Amino acid sequence: MFTIKQNIYTFGKSKFLKSMNNILKFTAIIAFPLLLMTSCGEDKPIEDLVDDTTEEVVEEVENKNYYQIPSPDEMFGFIKESGLKYNKSVLNSVQSVDSYTEPTQQALNFGIYSADLAYTAAFEEYQETIKYFGSVQKLADKIGLSSAFDKSLIERVQNNLKNADSLVSITNTSYFSVVDYLEQNEQGGKLGIIASAGWLETVYIVANTAKYGKDKAAIERLADQKLTLDNLIQYLEKYTESDPEVKKVHAWFKEIEAAFSGLEEKSSGSAITLKKKEGAKKMVLGGGENIRISEQQFTTIKNKISEIRNQIVKVQA
Amino acid sequence: MKSITKIYAITLSLLVFPLITKAQYCNYFHAGFCTPTDEKEGTYKPNGQSKSALFSKGQTSELSVVVYKGQDYRFALCMDENLGSQMHFKLYENKKIKVEKVIESKVMEDVYDENGEPTGEKKEVVTKETKVVEETKKELLYDNANDNFASELEFTVETTRRLIIEIEIPSEGGSGTAKGVAQGKGKLMKSSEMGCVGILIEHMATPKKGFYGTGF
Repeated sequence: MFTIKQNIYTFGKSKFLKSMNNILKFTAIIAFPLLLMTSCGEDKPIEDLVDDTTEEVVEEVENKNYYQIPSPDEMFGFIKESGLKYNKSVLNSVQSVDSYTEPTQQALNFGIYSADLAYTAAFEEYQETIKYFGSVQKLADKIGLSSAFDKSLIERVQNNLKNADSLVSITNTSYFSVVDYLEQNEQGGKLGIIASAGWLETVYIVANTAKYGKDKAAIERLADQKLTLDNLIQYLEKYTESDPEVKKVHAWFKEIEAAFSGLEEKSSGSAITLKKKEGAKKMVLGGGENIRISEQQFTTIKNKISEIRNQIVKVQA
Repeated sequence: MKSITKIYAITLSLLVFPLITKAQYCNYFHAGFCTPTDEKEGTYKPNGQSKSALFSKGQTSELSVVVYKGQDYRFALCMDENLGSQMHFKLYENKKIKVEKVIESKVMEDVYDENGEPTGEKKEVVTKETKVVEETKKELLYDNANDNFASELEFTVETTRRLIIEIEIPSEGGSGTAKGVAQGKGKLMKSSEMGCVGILIEHMATPKKGFYGTGF
């Protein structure tokens, strides 16, 4: 459907403006005694000064580039639709959770378990979902993300064990609340590590479940990860200089990028366009190049992904 | 009086500055203010690539997202009213292309006489080497300026693509009352010239057309 609505949504008093007002009130209270100390002998009323507070200056926001990574549920929702069967054996064992003691290993496995959680929820494996939720929650506590997993969220999981849609929605909420928490606390490096591991586990599950030549849609989606990987690497590159742990993860992903680099982008015969087709209701993004993957390339990618993923989940003896 | 006003303004700036410069006020702005799909229109789900950020007037920023084949997407944009009444956004394909580039390098080499002995002089030698390098290329797919500055966009994806959503907040307009605002990177500006921008992304499997699973 060609449904472009011609509205701009504006708001009388947004959260942002309310926060700004609160800050102004707060600072006015703090600044007031300072004013009293410095304003002795002045002949103008204080109200004149207070009026000036509406014109405070702040640093201009710089132009920025943001790189977004699709969350695991998008992939799992798709592969379930495409007919791929649930495969419990590929998941990281919940028994391993207490063995991860080093902070980066905990953050990486938090991402791994988050993807496993999304997988069990997408395939309506309710009992498994609750187990993986427990593992995610345990690691969240260890890496300082417990506030993203409040009591009400855990209660919602327990109360919705038989409701597939609610469970997917709740596991998404937990993932998004972690992203939100890390962004709010300016921990972009940690977010990069978690998102990378989540993506890695997602691709690992698909690569180790789909059969080349049989599961065409899943294999095509796996090949398309070449584009997502570009975003992931560009995101990590923002933190490689400042965070040695991100640098290590980035190096792994450059190895995966090399495995994907051989994938051919073949023209569909027409240039890429975003337009409304005759008789169609929605605009269509089509044309351009399609990514092709051979069986050998699939095996190379699967092996590289498995090698790095297994290194992350490995439990020290 | 003026000096006290200045002191007060500086004091406020020092107190407010560290708080305001953190863009965290805008987190999840898209979830609260960008209009989600009407449930009657389809079964869209919230997409993890949605984003909110703090913008100032005159700012342009880019959000790189991946859209997958076989899915329908809906982008809904929203912003604080003090940023103006309309936002300009463009959609590009963000593509990596391989290009051949001639890399020139200059080295200083010793000069030799006819007997093969160094003269003590040096000369500049330019060498050229052709290398294949990867570059990114942006191709414009949609500009809401040609569509009455629409704030929503819905489309079906036939080929997986990496897209860039470029958002530009016009320098003029809006309900902010500040005047004489400094423009340009790294400069100071009034808080009334800043606000949140959100992009809500939703997705669903492209609905199948025709009769399915009913034949023999």
